[in-house]
Amino acid sequence: MAWTWFHRLGSPPHVYALASRLTPWFAWPAALLIVGGLYGGLVLAPPDYQQGEGFRIIYVHAPSAWMSLMVYTTMAISAGAGLIWRMKVAHAVAASCAPIGASFTFAALATGALWGQPMWGTFWEWDPRLTSELILFFLYLGYMGLRSSIDDLQRADRASAVLAVVGIVNVPIIHYSVTWWNSLHQAPSVMQLARPTMPASMLIPLLLMLLGFTLLFVTLLLIRLRAEVLSRERSASWIRTVLAHE
Amino acid sequence: MSEFFDMGGYAPYVWPAYGLTLATVALNIFWARRLLAKSRAEARRRLEIQGGGA
Repeated sequence: MAWTWFHRLGSPPHVYALASRLTPWFAWPAALLIVGGLYGGLVLAPPDYQQGEGFRIIYVHAPSAWMSLMVYTTMAISAGAGLIWRMKVAHAVAASCAPIGASFTFAALATGALWGQPMWGTFWEWDPRLTSELILFFLYLGYMGLRSSIDDLQRADRASAVLAVVGIVNVPIIHYSVTWWNSLHQAPSVMQLARPTMPASMLIPLLLMLLGFTLLFVTLLLIRLRAEVLSRERSASWIRTVLAHE
Repeated sequence: MSEFFDMGGYAPYVWPAYGLTLATVALNIFWARRLLAKSRAEARRRLEIQGGGA
């Protein structure tokens, strides 16, 4: 009985309807948080004592980088669930994650380069953090390339899921790269709750952006998941009902 | 106001970083909605081919 919710997550019509209903509940808070975070980051936060106004890149760089890791983790876990329990919906979630993750990984790399140039004097360095993030970008591209190269949907799901699961080893490498190796990249400034390295006026806009981007990811995932579920179901009568009501 | 846009001399780095990230956000919203619209149109077409109308 306690597992009914889990089984219903395997049912495409239920997932489609749930995704439709949930979308605005994530979209509007995401929009408000991001607008608030941008205002706080660009206007309210004081300039950094070392990096001056240049540090404000953190409010777009850190959320993009967080997105790149969170989306990959979601993708790998759903891909793994799809492999283990043969859930079609889990594979649909994984497939929906990839383009979102790839684009924000690109944004993280590009905003990092724009931050690196004035602060380190270089757009790019083969540094552990930067290199492992670039590998993440290629993992996303590889995942999408592999999917589109296999015509049979079930085989595409399974092959790409194996790649996604294996690639998860890169996620802790990216996260700990600044601790394990001597990196140009600065140490994490948020994930030290015991000893925050920022005053509240700098930290709060960053937290708003991180939460806003997380909710944005859920919003995008819900929209893409509906599309995936629709295109995977060949002739189900529920599609007729759903389309007649939209 | 021009002081704000100057970003203490970091304008050539700060504004492109913000522009690029917000463009990524906007494109993601656009891509996701376009994908859903396409899948809907595709599903409608499939149902019509199978007969019975939508």
